[in-house]
Amino acid sequence: MINDYFLLAFNSIRHRQLRSWLTIIGIIIGVAAIVALISLSLGLQATIEEQFEAFGTDRLLIAAQGFQGPGTQSEGITDEDISILERMPEFKTISYGSARSGEVEFKKETKFPFVFGGRNGKELLESSTDIAEGRYLEDSDNNDVMIGSRVANDLFDDKVRLRNKISIAGKEFRVIGILEPIGNQQDDNTIYITLEAYREIFGETNQVDFISAQVKPGVDILSLQEEVKREFERQRGDKNIDVVTPTQILEQIGSILGVVQAVLVGIAAISLVVGGIGITNSMYTTVLERTKEIGIMKSIGATNFDVLSIFLIESGLMGLVGGFFGVILGTLISLGIGKFSTDAGFKLLVKVNPELMIFGLLFAFFVGMVSGSLPARQAAKLKPVDALRHE
Amino acid sequence: MKKEKIIELNEVWKIYKMDEVDFPALQGMNLEVNKGEFLAVVGPSGSGKSTALNAIGALDVPTKGVIYLDGKDISKLSESMLAQIRGKKIGFVFQSFHLIPSLSALENVALPMTFQRIQIAERMKKAKELLTSVGLGDKLNNLPSQLSGGERQRVAIARALANNPEVILADEPTGNLDSKTGVEILNLLKNLNKKEGKTLIVVTHDEKIAKEADRIAYLEDGKVVSVKK
Repeated sequence: MINDYFLLAFNSIRHRQLRSWLTIIGIIIGVAAIVALISLSLGLQATIEEQFEAFGTDRLLIAAQGFQGPGTQSEGITDEDISILERMPEFKTISYGSARSGEVEFKKETKFPFVFGGRNGKELLESSTDIAEGRYLEDSDNNDVMIGSRVANDLFDDKVRLRNKISIAGKEFRVIGILEPIGNQQDDNTIYITLEAYREIFGETNQVDFISAQVKPGVDILSLQEEVKREFERQRGDKNIDVVTPTQILEQIGSILGVVQAVLVGIAAISLVVGGIGITNSMYTTVLERTKEIGIMKSIGATNFDVLSIFLIESGLMGLVGGFFGVILGTLISLGIGKFSTDAGFKLLVKVNPELMIFGLLFAFFVGMVSGSLPARQAAKLKPVDALRHE
Repeated sequence: MKKEKIIELNEVWKIYKMDEVDFPALQGMNLEVNKGEFLAVVGPSGSGKSTALNAIGALDVPTKGVIYLDGKDISKLSESMLAQIRGKKIGFVFQSFHLIPSLSALENVALPMTFQRIQIAERMKKAKELLTSVGLGDKLNNLPSQLSGGERQRVAIARALANNPEVILADEPTGNLDSKTGVEILNLLKNLNKKEGKTLIVVTHDEKIAKEADRIAYLEDGKVVSVKK
């Protein structure tokens, strides 16, 4: 019987093609928007998680409060603080450094990329970034630099090659390594030098902006985190140092992303609601147009339930067709944006997501049914004699 | 031979509420119809012919009074029970054919069987047979818009027979047809009555049709004023 309802509903949709398609387009847009936005934000989340995984979760990240990333001012972490960590046996490697925007000259052209001065950072870079040409910077390479891919290829009019000379704040350095693209503009636009060279050219004495301390295997990172906080507080007499784990940062980003996702999907949902109202409107018109047909069907034995089912399935089918094309369109849009973004330097891992597609399809069918339920009830309740008399 | 009653109307009233005024379409109508009979119902416009036919056909329930169809009181049934009765016991033929425009002749004839949950293969076979029997075996897949008036009424008659009902109710079946086609349709209906023993009730203005009937019921002001042989 349900097959027959489908056939009758399909027949009716086909019979008024233009209006059906216009109605369906409303659903296509709504579903496409939802699918595209969800898969983009899932892609963003996957990208961030991937970068954190490459970076490693077995470490504590330490920065002075107020430090918001390279380029911002911070005062706080000193060499003495680092030596507190160095005295603790739980740490394997303690990498640290500072970053700021610096005046960089290459072939008489001046730009202001980020300059990062680090110590003990080679392993960290090795694990998170591949080298494209040359080699990684060692702590003894005080006259050399390693550069990100955008510094090499895009920053200056001429490409920067291995063994080229560039000068940073007046001091000349030799390029010994070029990194593969990492996928975010800021990192790819950074020049890496040693902390010693950094302090020399920028005149800093014993401060650093941040520390990344890798713990030994088997150490409970959360209790170590508390211990480090206590130790800093005891030795420094203040609470100016933030100590977090990558997982905690990831969770924080995740919860922010969640809010962003909810807002975006909420906005997309509005367009789906509008699409649903389109179905309701179209179905009301259809019920009005087909009042006589409803009367005919009832006169030859259709029950209220039959009529209700036919109209519900009809609106559900419109939702389903809209969902089908909407899911395809939304997936293509998100893949397109992912590719565009990655090409432009912001890596975004967008994947085809079968669960999301099935969800989009079923949700559209559901929206169609709900939108059609009032008109369908109206159709079912029509009295056969009145309906037959309708012209 | 004792004749078996199939339809009985007992003091049937139908009052339509129109804004402030009540309009009584049937005013205590009494009528009996025997099984296998051909009854013509005639009367001036507004005398209640169609209202009576709708009430007999379970399309509408009376305001007052009792209607027996095949011994069963159908005047107080729920809509879904009425739908069952319409689907199984009654075949309607209307003046303006009332076919579904988006369905082919074959699908139109098969539709009443759909609502009786009959399997598709059986439906299509029966519909084909019925259309062939009314002379439309070569137009199974035509849409109503691709058929002449007479052909459409044949499709409607085939559809009325789909669930093999005992009663055929025809409301001005030749009203929209030219006289030659009208005669053909009338013969088709008469055949159903004579050869297949269907009870046939025809509402008509047409004297020629009325003369063919076994009995003629004259209606006036929502009542049967006389019945002639």
